[in-house]
Amino acid sequence: MAEIILFYFLAAVTVLTAVGVVMNENPLMSALYLVLSMLGIAGLFFLLQAPFIGAVQIMVYAGAVMVLFVLVMMLIDINKDEEKFSGGNISALFKGLTVGVFAGLLTSIILRTPMSTKILVAQQATEVVDIARLLFTKYVLAFELLGIMLLVIPVGIVALTRIRGGTHER
Amino acid sequence: MSASLMIGQEHYLIVSAILFCLGLTGILLRRNMIVMLMSIELMLNAVNLSFVTFSYFQQNLEGQVIVLFVMAIAAAEASIGLALAVMLFKKFKELNISFFEHLRG
Repeated sequence: MAEIILFYFLAAVTVLTAVGVVMNENPLMSALYLVLSMLGIAGLFFLLQAPFIGAVQIMVYAGAVMVLFVLVMMLIDINKDEEKFSGGNISALFKGLTVGVFAGLLTSIILRTPMSTKILVAQQATEVVDIARLLFTKYVLAFELLGIMLLVIPVGIVALTRIRGGTHER
Repeated sequence: MSASLMIGQEHYLIVSAILFCLGLTGILLRRNMIVMLMSIELMLNAVNLSFVTFSYFQQNLEGQVIVLFVMAIAAAEASIGLALAVMLFKKFKELNISFFEHLRG
């Protein structure tokens, strides 16, 4: 019973704060709502017996990435944010229609797919050892490629910040 | 406790779908570049949630490994996007995408 209450609580927190991210006119408030939403998702991960992923979610997303966002907002003048939503009523109508159609598509797929409803017998939390074993045997190539990517990204950012002017001038 | 009351796969998947659609709404409707990047993060998180859901309900750990990869790539994407945002702000003194109509160098 506690699991059901916890699920609905976490789902409500996550969805409502996600609405706050999209609808709030102050980008800083959006960032703070996004932190709450990430924490709600981390709680859902804990509920799904994935404590390692939940902890990484809290550290990487709610910690590092959101600090990065707030830091960039410190560098940038965000006081004035007129025209925060895009254009006319017609385009907004089409955008709403797009999202509505997509949402209907997703829900119909979810509801029409036969899911296995049997409750699992062994519902113990996954161990980090198992994830690591999979990561370093089957997915070791992808892991190495990820390391290369993480090396390239800082180099790219440094190169990006040293560009002066546009693409045509040196 | 009857079986219909249990939290099944569909519940988590529907939460994930709602989050994804909210992120899509943010991308389409908002004009501030930082808020658009945040909406992308929201969509990536929704996908992560569905990965972990499938991983749990099928007792298959590979979903969680993929989630780790997605998280690393999302962090890299956020850093690149924010660096680009800072560059654009230095150039245009503005982060509203409706002012970026002249992106020729």
